[in-house]
Amino acid sequence: MFKLILKLAWNNAFLRLSRTLLVIIMIAVSMSMLLAIQGLFDGMAYNMSDKMLRSDSGEISIYHKDYRLNKIIANHVTDAKTIKAKLEQDSEVQAVVTRFSVDGLSATARKSSFANIIGINLEDEEKFGQFSDFLKKGTLDFKKRGALIGGELAKTLKVKVGSKLVFSTQDKNGDINSIALRIRGILRTANVKLDTSAIFIDAVRLDKFLGIDKNIATQIAIRTQSSTLQDKLKKDYPNLSVKNFLEINPMMQMMEDSMVIFNSMIFVIVMFVVFIGILGVMYVSILDRIREFGIMRGIGMKYSHIRLQIILEALFVGLMGYLVGALFGFSGLYYLENVGLDLSAYADAMESFGYETILYAEIKLSYFTNTFYAIFTASLLSVFLPLRKIKKMHPIDVIKADT
Amino acid sequence: MIKIQNVNKYFYKGESREVHALRDINLEIKKGEFSLFNGPSGCGKTTLLNAIGALDSVDSGEIYLGETEITGLNEDARTSLRLNEMGFVFQAYNLVPVLNVEENIGFIMKLRGFSDSEIKARVQEVASFLEIDTKLKSLPNTLSGGQQQRVAVARAVAAKPKIILADEPTANLDSKNSLKLMDMMRSLNEKEDISIVFASHDELVIDNVRRVIKLKDGALVED
Ligand SMILES: Nc1ncnc2c1ncn2[C@@H]1O[C@H](COP(=O)(O)OP(=O)(O)OP(=O)(O)O)[C@@H](O)[C@H]1O
Ligand SMILES: [Mg+2]
Repeated sequence: MFKLILKLAWNNAFLRLSRTLLVIIMIAVSMSMLLAIQGLFDGMAYNMSDKMLRSDSGEISIYHKDYRLNKIIANHVTDAKTIKAKLEQDSEVQAVVTRFSVDGLSATARKSSFANIIGINLEDEEKFGQFSDFLKKGTLDFKKRGALIGGELAKTLKVKVGSKLVFSTQDKNGDINSIALRIRGILRTANVKLDTSAIFIDAVRLDKFLGIDKNIATQIAIRTQSSTLQDKLKKDYPNLSVKNFLEINPMMQMMEDSMVIFNSMIFVIVMFVVFIGILGVMYVSILDRIREFGIMRGIGMKYSHIRLQIILEALFVGLMGYLVGALFGFSGLYYLENVGLDLSAYADAMESFGYETILYAEIKLSYFTNTFYAIFTASLLSVFLPLRKIKKMHPIDVIKADT
Repeated sequence: MIKIQNVNKYFYKGESREVHALRDINLEIKKGEFSLFNGPSGCGKTTLLNAIGALDSVDSGEIYLGETEITGLNEDARTSLRLNEMGFVFQAYNLVPVLNVEENIGFIMKLRGFSDSEIKARVQEVASFLEIDTKLKSLPNTLSGGQQQRVAVARAVAAKPKIILADEPTANLDSKNSLKLMDMMRSLNEKEDISIVFASHDELVIDNVRRVIKLKDGALVED
């Protein structure tokens, strides 16, 4: 019996091939567009947080208790290098860097701007977050007063690779001191704070310039996959502030949340389109065949069997659309994951927001499972109205009609 | 086997356009009969046939199929009565377009839960009797009108109903095919002992049945 109904549903679903194909294509196209948009958004968000991780906070950062509120030299971690050495022994820690950062004024002969000088160790940073990846122009070189500068800051100061620059700040004694630097490279980190104000120089040079102990740092940043490490470190260093990525970058949490809302909105809209599409094709198809259903009812087929047939029919159309859509969608996402979407025409605007000029998509299994459930549900819901038409019909009226 | 007592049926009851479609019909149809409702267009042949077939309700009176009072049944019970006790042949287009001839003939048996092997054997039997056994794998729309109507008869007869109700089965057929259909239906009636009741104004049908029940303006005028 079920086999017969299955066959009726299958044959009828593809009886009017062009109509059914149209709906299948409609579902497939809207679904693959949905997948592409979701993939790109997730890719964008992932890319952004990945760069923030690598250029600054890592998964966990350790600061002096008061540093994040009051970024002065006095609020440093005293035994930073010792802690770093200890962390490097921890199997859960993939990489550690220490940084010393101090605010000041950067100036050329004509322009000046607020800046934030950061002393780093290039080798450590490379291991920590592939620092060389951020270099857009010039070379990674700290020799002979060399410095690297954030892209936006370079624009503000109108400096290029090779330009000279003076950075002034208070040293540990409170005296204003200046250091002459030469720009060796310009960076793009996707981290707005760094791009608009950071000047990186060699850690050793900064220590000397500020007259501080080389064991201290304002930040210890850690790369790890462990979810328990933060709690452990909090216990180990109760006098320090141990923060995770989202605590340091609350914007990313907001961005993630708004992505979820935005994605769900697109999702709902697309599913509504699918729903309307299947509803339309099922409705027309049932009106076309109303006499056939009248005869089936007339010769004694139960309403529940006809209902099952209609539901299966809608599911076939929906699932075919899903299969084709999943195929298109996957190919599209695969392309966007590997080749990317080139937005270099809008490069400036994108980069100042911290996005890449080429967007790469993410592919997640959840895209496919979620759309599956949604299309399945939309197909089921779409038969309600057409089924009412059959339920209300009287066999003799439709059998009599246009004989 | 079928007993019709004081049956009345109205359309648009109480309105000015009220039609008194069946007037005090009293009638008995015995097992194995081969009869016809005849009369001018609009006299109530189809209405009476539909009432017997539990396709339509009546306004007063009772219709019995054996011991069962059809007129008192609800929709579900009538559906299952149609499936289990009756066979229908309509004027035209009453096959399932997406199923082949074999599946169409076996359709009612399948709904009634016969096993696949029983269905296969029975379909073969009635199909060869009705001379459509060479077309078993064809789809209905590739058959001639006469062949399609014989498939419909085969479907009605396959599950061995108590009675077959045929409303204008020859209306869309030429005389040669009509005659063939009537011949075959009469042999089936004799061979399988199934009652068959027609509603028709086709002379050819009149000539071939054993009992003619004449209706006029919804009333029985001649038997
Ligand atoms: N569904 C309906 N609604 C309203 N009136 C109807 C309906 N069905 C039949 N009638 C009326 O009932 C009367 C009997 O109709 P019926 O269809 O039984 O006639 P018939 O004898 O089968 O005619 P024909 O030979 O043309 O098929 C007619 O006057 C018809 O107009
Ligand atoms: Mg009629």
